Amino acid sequence: MQLDPSFIWTAFVQLLGAIPTTLSITVVSVSAGFLIGTVTALLRLYRVPVLSQIASAYVTFIRGTPMLTHLLLIYFGLPMIIDALAAQFGWSFRAVSIPMIGFAYISFSITAGAYMSEVVRAGIQAVDRGQLEAAQSVGMTQIQSLRRIVFPQALAAALPNLANSVIGMLHGSTLAFAVSVVDINAQAQIVASTNWKFFEAYLAAALIFWGLTVLIERAAALIEKRVGAYNRGGVA
Amino acid sequence: MIQLSKISKSFGRNPVLRDISLNVGTGEVVVILGASGSGKTTLLRCINYLEKPGSGEIAVGDLRVDCSRARRSDILRLRRKTAMVFQQYNLFRHKTALENVMEALLVVKKLPLAEARRRSVELLEKVGLGAKLDAYPSRLSGGQQQRVGIARALALEPEVILFDEPTSALDPELVGEVLEVIRAIAKEGITMIVVTHEMGFARDVANRVVFMDGGLIVEEGTPDEVFQRPREERTKQFLRRITPEANYSI
Ligand SMILES: Nc1ncnc2c1ncn2[C@@H]1O[C@H](COP(=O)(O)OP(=O)(O)OP(=O)(O)O)[C@@H](O)[C@H]1O
Ligand SMILES: [Mg+2]
Repeated sequence: MQLDPSFIWTAFVQLLGAIPTTLSITVVSVSAGFLIGTVTALLRLYRVPVLSQIASAYVTFIRGTPMLTHLLLIYFGLPMIIDALAAQFGWSFRAVSIPMIGFAYISFSITAGAYMSEVVRAGIQAVDRGQLEAAQSVGMTQIQSLRRIVFPQALAAALPNLANSVIGMLHGSTLAFAVSVVDINAQAQIVASTNWKFFEAYLAAALIFWGLTVLIERAAALIEKRVGAYNRGGVA
Repeated sequence: MIQLSKISKSFGRNPVLRDISLNVGTGEVVVILGASGSGKTTLLRCINYLEKPGSGEIAVGDLRVDCSRARRSDILRLRRKTAMVFQQYNLFRHKTALENVMEALLVVKKLPLAEARRRSVELLEKVGLGAKLDAYPSRLSGGQQQRVGIARALALEPEVILFDEPTSALDPELVGEVLEVIRAIAKEGITMIVVTHEMGFARDVANRVVFMDGGLIVEEGTPDEVFQRPREERTKQFLRRITPEANYSI
């Protein structure tokens, strides 16, 4: 078997069409995951009765099981729940009308939420307690103190880990093939299946992932530089 | 006018404040002295409600808060009438000097931006930092940070400013500039409660000195009374330890 360098390029071009799918899964799961993660982190930090235990169970269960398993559980479990509810309440909605990528969105958001919960929690804990007290001492409410004083600093502290989460979700999105979503990786398989040049096709896929990852890292570095300017004593 | 009545506070089984009562008149400067662990910080934090007292009553101006059943709105109002200058400055690290002072004016007092800015610049000029408006705390010396902290405390025009060892984290050569600023605002008639080990400062500025030990106010009086003619043995011991000048003189 010979390497066919020109087919790497051919495959590369054909894979470009799948980039939006990969990116949309990444963006949706990271955004929803960030929201879920922030809420769970706060529930745990503030030890909200009952909810904090649920949050802890969620985080340990999700982090203790593979991402592919989450996808399969959602894919097979969610329709059962939805259809049962639909029957109960007489909705016309049926689980079959959920697009395949919808399962990826939901399940990967749940996955990302658990991982990002830890990232957000570490970020908040990195903020000195005196910051919150100073905010309260001038009469800011708890919400104002968190939103204006603690979160911005927590975010700055968490940025490197958040960037890692984004990269993790980008790479993890390849698992969506299991529910027939055609992301970059799945597209590579399709491209290669006509001529069996799998190596070239996957190599092209790898190059695209690498490029996207480098872009994310660059963006994160830029944001870090701006957001963290105060740490190095930069002037606005 | 500040009235503390029977403030008690325990951490677990450890009683830290025992029925502390203290009145501070408008414009009065009260200095609190006491050994480490005697409860000075805890008392200030209770007045600002950063620590929840177990029982007692705090009255500031026309606001009375019964600590055993304080509502959230009482606590907010109390905090808006009191301000704290922290030992570790606790400036908002992600905000410039100017933004640190403006923050409460914008968020708590809801002043328009221009007005908040004008007043904050004025305050920072007053503490000698007119040239550092846009500097982040990490770019400021300890003395400069603490002066921003003082400007931030002044911004809300509180009825009392609480200082918790405002100079004890500073390099010795920076202590003077901060004490100078505190002295100046004391002269303006701002009510202050100051925990400090700066005896010279206490002598000059305090109207009254309060000595705490074991969560109790053991002795109080004018600086002269407490420093020159302490009645209590515990006060005498403390003063001997804290003013060792005599030991150095040859
Ligand atoms: N958050 C806390 N949890 C448990 N114990 C505490 C807490 N804060 C203070 N204490 C205890 O309360 C006592 C009084 O502490 P406080 O900080 O008020 O003393 P202080 O007079 O300010 O001392 P120093 O001069 O060292 O600042 C100490 O025994 C301290 O260990
Ligand atoms: Mg103290």
